[in-house]
Amino acid sequence: MTWKRKLFAAAAGALFAPVLVVVLPATSASAHGYVSDPPSRQANCAAGKVSGCGSIVYEPQSVEGPKGLRSCNGGLSQFAELTDESKPWPAKPVGTTVTFNWVFTARHSTSNYEYYVGGTRVAVFAGNNQQPPPTLSHTVNLAGYSGRIKVLAIWNIADTANAFYSCVDLQVGGGGTPPPTTTPPPTTTPPPTTTTTTPPTGGTWAAGTAYKAGDVVTYGGASYRCIQPHTAIAGWEPPNTPALWQRQ
Amino acid sequence: MRVVLAVVASLLTGCATTATPSYNAADVMFLQMLVPQNQQGIEIVRLAAARPVPPGLKELAAAIEVTQQTEIDDMRRWLREWNQPETVAPQAHAGHGGMKTTAPDLVGALRTVPDGEFPRRFLDVLTGQQQGAVELAQTENGPGGGVNAQARDLARRVIESRTAEVKQLLNTKT
Repeated sequence: MTWKRKLFAAAAGALFAPVLVVVLPATSASAHGYVSDPPSRQANCAAGKVSGCGSIVYEPQSVEGPKGLRSCNGGLSQFAELTDESKPWPAKPVGTTVTFNWVFTARHSTSNYEYYVGGTRVAVFAGNNQQPPPTLSHTVNLAGYSGRIKVLAIWNIADTANAFYSCVDLQVGGGGTPPPTTTPPPTTTPPPTTTTTTPPTGGTWAAGTAYKAGDVVTYGGASYRCIQPHTAIAGWEPPNTPALWQRQ
Repeated sequence: MRVVLAVVASLLTGCATTATPSYNAADVMFLQMLVPQNQQGIEIVRLAAARPVPPGLKELAAAIEVTQQTEIDDMRRWLREWNQPETVAPQAHAGHGGMKTTAPDLVGALRTVPDGEFPRRFLDVLTGQQQGAVELAQTENGPGGGVNAQARDLARRVIESRTAEVKQLLNTKT
């Protein structure tokens, strides 16, 4: 950043501090990542397990904000849904030892990874100012906690002022180790409702339908035969996917 | 003479129309970055074929492979028609968020992961890979993005299909 930009940023910061907080992350690093399993809130949104999540479904990896925050949305107003405690966030049943798995779209040099429950840092893992390894998981000891808790996983980037935030809802004592007899049965997460349906013969192509080779559909007034089994999704319309559909 | 002028005028108009740029630098950049992104995605999904992963995941991986190959064929053809190279130096993309492709060691690392760990690692690597493609497509269709109708339609399909693929990946039990 040149001195002119610094000066401008300082002036702008003084005048529009709340706005600056929102704008800065969107223009910074290309690194992105989040906790995929146990599913973080953004992972549950992208998986369709929680509805009404807004734009986070397209970029669960983008919850980026200044270091030191303790919020689920990295201070980003466009991801405010992640802080909505009234949403039915599924809490995965776990034992007291939990392995957190990360997804990255860009692996950026890392200061460290932190895990918080409330105001308590329950684990920290060094990043050594290096790129994350090809795949990354951390095993965190949650002994002393039981019932529903919210873990905040933080990926602190080494060469920017930012971090990536993932809130993970857990039901501790609900799996892995047998729960004490005094513990009420854990609220288990219902399995995701399957969206696949049986295709009607000669019906109209529809996303969410499981097609097998030989199935025939109509799309845009033309007829297509499925040549490779798959579950149809938006963006895979027959005219655009000649490897999946042969026009009749 | 009038007829000649009219012909010349119509020719000029015709020329002016065809000279209107049908693509811009953002379109070229999008295609040049998505081709290797798709190629690496294909390398990753091919790893699932010989591994003990759920049948639904294997089927999704196979469909990703062939649909992304179609996209690569289309993109290469468009770049040829535009007289643009298929690849440029990676540094040239630095100002656009850098190359979104996963580092090559990722594929190698996945290849050596034991079967027991493979499904979890595969899901996380492929999820990140496909979400990287969404980032490229959002740049193409965002402010200051591309102007070419075909490339922008491809970007729309990339956003929709990859987001739906990620939904299936995140719903896969390991």
